[in-house]
Amino acid sequence: MPNSATRVQPQVDPRGPRFAAWVTSVVLVVVLATGWWPLLAAQAVVFAIGGFIGLRPAPYAALFRLLVAPRLAPTTEREDAAPVRFAQSVGFGFALVGVLGYALAVPALGMVATAFALAAAFLNAAFGFCLGCEAYLLINRLSNTLRKVGTAR
Amino acid sequence: MTGLFVAIGTVVVAVALGSVVRVLSGRVRGSAGQVPAAVREVLDPAAAVTLVQLSTEYCAGCKQARVVLTGLARDTAGLAHADLDLTHRPELAGELRVSRTPTTIAVTASGTELLRVGGVPKREELLTSLRPHLAG
Repeated sequence: MPNSATRVQPQVDPRGPRFAAWVTSVVLVVVLATGWWPLLAAQAVVFAIGGFIGLRPAPYAALFRLLVAPRLAPTTEREDAAPVRFAQSVGFGFALVGVLGYALAVPALGMVATAFALAAAFLNAAFGFCLGCEAYLLINRLSNTLRKVGTAR
Repeated sequence: MTGLFVAIGTVVVAVALGSVVRVLSGRVRGSAGQVPAAVREVLDPAAAVTLVQLSTEYCAGCKQARVVLTGLARDTAGLAHADLDLTHRPELAGELRVSRTPTTIAVTASGTELLRVGGVPKREELLTSLRPHLAG
């Protein structure tokens, strides 16, 4: 029976995404504290690279490989890249809304969207809990419902 | 200044949420009812109970859950493990009322749901809950 256990997926050192989540958390706290939205725009680009292109060219992953990984003991532990990438694309969505909020002078929208992204990044960093991954079923159900509504028209 | 308070508030809420999730994750919950046909298809007819793991491609804990459940099924007579991918089956996810993966449901050979576990199951707790249904 074909199942996801037999499917070969790209794998990553789990400490990489965890490190990236810490960097993301710090960046998003700075964005909230200063309201300086170009930094949020930069973070949106970082999310987009990880989500839509791949984790290898993702800036924080590169930082991890260059600066952090050489100082850590090597590990054989691996996790699938697909959930991490999906979560990055969800992060991109929130960052994009945040940028629009700040740039269009609706700071409340900017703050709320950034706060959601911060909560997700912090949960990942501190608890290893991937909120974006957990939200997949919900997002999928929602988009499926919307699609149905769309075709019914 | 407001932004800084929002940031602090968000981190506080995230810590609370993370702690709650950590406590609830992997816990066994009782449940009841017949499972849909799509789930009945993957049951092992030779096993008294099949642990049906609901997964998606974007699930962070599914790999760990798979290790726990396949190990438990291998070491326990009358227990089987099956994997059901919900990535492209939002209707089935809705029908089963699962909102997170991994979720594991224990189902008898006749299709009755006994219990479910959200998150990576705790081996001993799960085995203890399953014992009454495996006897004989």
